[in-house]
Amino acid sequence: MTGRSELRINRDTADPSTPKAIRQALGAFLTALRIDSPLREDIIIAVGEAVANAVEHAYETRDPGTVELHAATDAENTLLVDVYDRGAFIERDLREGRGLGLRIVRAIARAVSIDTEGGTRVRMVFDTGAPADATEQTTF
Amino acid sequence: MDSQSSIDVVRLVGELDVSRRSELRTALSQATGGRAVLIDLGAVSYLDSTVIADLLRFRAEADENGRLVALLIGSRQVARVLEYAGLAQAFAVFDDRGRALTYLAGTSPT
Repeated sequence: MTGRSELRINRDTADPSTPKAIRQALGAFLTALRIDSPLREDIIIAVGEAVANAVEHAYETRDPGTVELHAATDAENTLLVDVYDRGAFIERDLREGRGLGLRIVRAIARAVSIDTEGGTRVRMVFDTGAPADATEQTTF
Repeated sequence: MDSQSSIDVVRLVGELDVSRRSELRTALSQATGGRAVLIDLGAVSYLDSTVIADLLRFRAEADENGRLVALLIGSRQVARVLEYAGLAQAFAVFDDRGRALTYLAGTSPT
């Protein structure tokens, strides 16, 4: 993982296939990065929670919106994943009724931040471990 | 859903996420006849917290009605998400159908 790899997805929140499609695309991305089980599944679980949070209201009310995922590696064996929600629910309180999802995300990700300005962005940082051919010690 | 003596069995398959909540709620709402409920997630490969929240609500209602609820789990990913949610102990969880049914048939639930 010496270069920078990126994944970008933009989907309609009201489309019932959106959560699964995003998880599948992320899974393929993680496989390409040679991130194996169980970390691969854990990252899918965490990101799946952020996506579920983004689509939950939109799906139930049929209000249109989009959810965007941006995943990128960096040189320090870290995967950064942002899940943006630019739908009509920018005023909602992320904490209310969603504690369970965030608890799951926090159990998996090294760091989580939530920005609710102009939409909702959940940013997750995952340690992906040193690649097998790593020759340098990585420090954080 | 099928019925085994007085145990309702709700069987769900595939990836169970927020987009399938209405299907889940419909399935759970039909499990009203028995004195115990087996929620068979043996063929469920993914579960998100919106579904867990519905399962918790269902379990709480069953508790009020004196009905036992057991979860049958066949996927490591489902077991892990319950752990991460801090709910591994919140349900009676089994990886063996026979043991789950034995638990539900028991006359003295612990």
